[in-house]
Amino acid sequence: MTSDLGFWTLQALNALQLSMLLFLLSIGLTVIFGLMHFVNLAHGSLYAVGAYAGAAAAAVGGFWMGLFVAPVAVAGMGVLLYSGLIKRMRRSGPMAQVLVTFGLIFVLLDLTRIFWGDLPLAIEKPGFLSGRVALLGIEYPAYRLFVIALGLAIFTGLAWVLGQTQVGAMIRAGVDNDAMAACLGINVERLFFTVFCVGCALAGLAGVVAAPLLSVTPDMGLQILIPTLIVIVIGGLGSLKGAIAGSLIYGFVQTFGAVLAPQLASVLIYALLAAVLVIRPMGLFPAKG
Amino acid sequence: MFRHTPLRYIALALLAAGALFQAATAGYFGLEILIEILILAMLVLALDMVAGFGGMVSLCHGALMGVGAYAFATFGGILGLTPLVSLVGAIALTGATAWVIGAVCARSHGIYFIMATLAFGQMAYSYVFQTPFFGGDDGMGGIERLDLTALGIDLTDSRSFALFCLGVLGLVYLATVAVLRSGLGRSLTGVMHSEQRMRALGLTVWRVKADVFGLSGMIAGLAGALSAMHIMYISPGLLDWTVSGEALVVVILGGLGTLVGPMIGAVALVVLKHELSAITPYWHLVVGLLLIGVVMSRANGIFGWIEAQIGARLDKRLNDITRPQPTEEPRDA
Repeated sequence: MTSDLGFWTLQALNALQLSMLLFLLSIGLTVIFGLMHFVNLAHGSLYAVGAYAGAAAAAVGGFWMGLFVAPVAVAGMGVLLYSGLIKRMRRSGPMAQVLVTFGLIFVLLDLTRIFWGDLPLAIEKPGFLSGRVALLGIEYPAYRLFVIALGLAIFTGLAWVLGQTQVGAMIRAGVDNDAMAACLGINVERLFFTVFCVGCALAGLAGVVAAPLLSVTPDMGLQILIPTLIVIVIGGLGSLKGAIAGSLIYGFVQTFGAVLAPQLASVLIYALLAAVLVIRPMGLFPAKG
Repeated sequence: MFRHTPLRYIALALLAAGALFQAATAGYFGLEILIEILILAMLVLALDMVAGFGGMVSLCHGALMGVGAYAFATFGGILGLTPLVSLVGAIALTGATAWVIGAVCARSHGIYFIMATLAFGQMAYSYVFQTPFFGGDDGMGGIERLDLTALGIDLTDSRSFALFCLGVLGLVYLATVAVLRSGLGRSLTGVMHSEQRMRALGLTVWRVKADVFGLSGMIAGLAGALSAMHIMYISPGLLDWTVSGEALVVVILGGLGTLVGPMIGAVALVVLKHELSAITPYWHLVVGLLLIGVVMSRANGIFGWIEAQIGARLDKRLNDITRPQPTEEPRDA
């Protein structure tokens, strides 16, 4: 039955789109953790700030302007956060970091409310992405395809940078053993800083990309935080492979769970997470062996 | 191990006196706030027991409290048991749940432990949220309070209920201290300092962690049942992870591993929340900045700071035969 096949294609695309969005968020978080051993619970809030900054810029110069401004603005915020807060918290235990960034969630949540109010904002999709495209026998929104393509492009780009370039080799060395990397003459501190800012920029990008799909609300950061954490814990902290695997697992379990067993859908993903933690406490693809 | 210092006795006496005074004199609104503080204090005692003395930073204690509340409401409202039986059942069920979570998570450490407990908490939240049997997102209403008319106490009255909660909190505090002073509590602190050493001494590490986590869960379940009795209505929001986060914030603001500190933190947070939300809708901003400030100052919360400032001096004067009293409480998990 074609309609049956179409249904599966549609859900698979939906799952893929959710996965790509989560990938954009989790890759920044996971590499920051892997490299700096820093737990940034406020990563979701950066995503929300990205959505707001994107919406503000899009209101002036259209969607593409927003798409450009959001990552830059959030990276700028990353610079502030890094020099003001994170640099000093680097040597603290995970608990202090969790708490400081938990406090940061509160602060950023209320700051977005103060600047942009409580009412949801929206971003208009650009004209040629607002329609639907016929694909594999179904009609699928063009914008969602754009999200999938963007996610895949970023994944490919990061895989190339991390796997093939010198900077990538330095980052992998830092994740593996930062003291040894520093001994080899790598400026680990500057590397941390760069990676942190890139991670922030990707969170901002995810925010503005998600904005036309979901509405922009102050608590969108809190809502995305838990799925992102699940992704990186399932995938294993610190690795690109883990982030993409975790995102795909989450996206497909969540989407197909919601369609096939709505009662169990959300419990399913947590049960999966618990199972992963019991069987492989370090996740599926940890950066360190 | 937990030790009472003179400063802690003084703080406890002040807290008790303040609560009694409030219970005796406050009007309806003041009593509601007092009850809220007392129930939160129970929850943070439970959390401090595992986090401050066992290094198990749990992000599922809010959910455990919710499990207690839902168990109480289900036993009473759907199975038709008396409130007393429901209360005992709720405590037992929450304790058992916590024991299982503790046993499963015992192998994880640091951020993985936090994530694992978060996962279990969210699992409970989603399950309750999506199950029509528990009322889904509508929650459950019509919950009865304990019937103590045989003792001449009418708990439907706010003042009696506040005093009742205060009494329960006192018992919970004594129980927590007793657990921490027992062999189990000492083993737990040993495990926090070095699992390897305790294992070499022949201890089954995961059992110690699971047992204390279960006991802590019983307290959380009790707090949940009381909160269900207090509001007489429950909703899945009780189990959300932000409740657990808030409990952790209270423990840190007050002073991790001091038992007294978290109770002070509970007072501070609830009062701050009510005072600030009267002035500004953005009270989260203030609490967030406060939290960042406290953690970055590297003091062990409000009470830990006071202890560091005057505690040492006071102790020296009061017990003259003295062993010097450094702040031996572990600060970081």
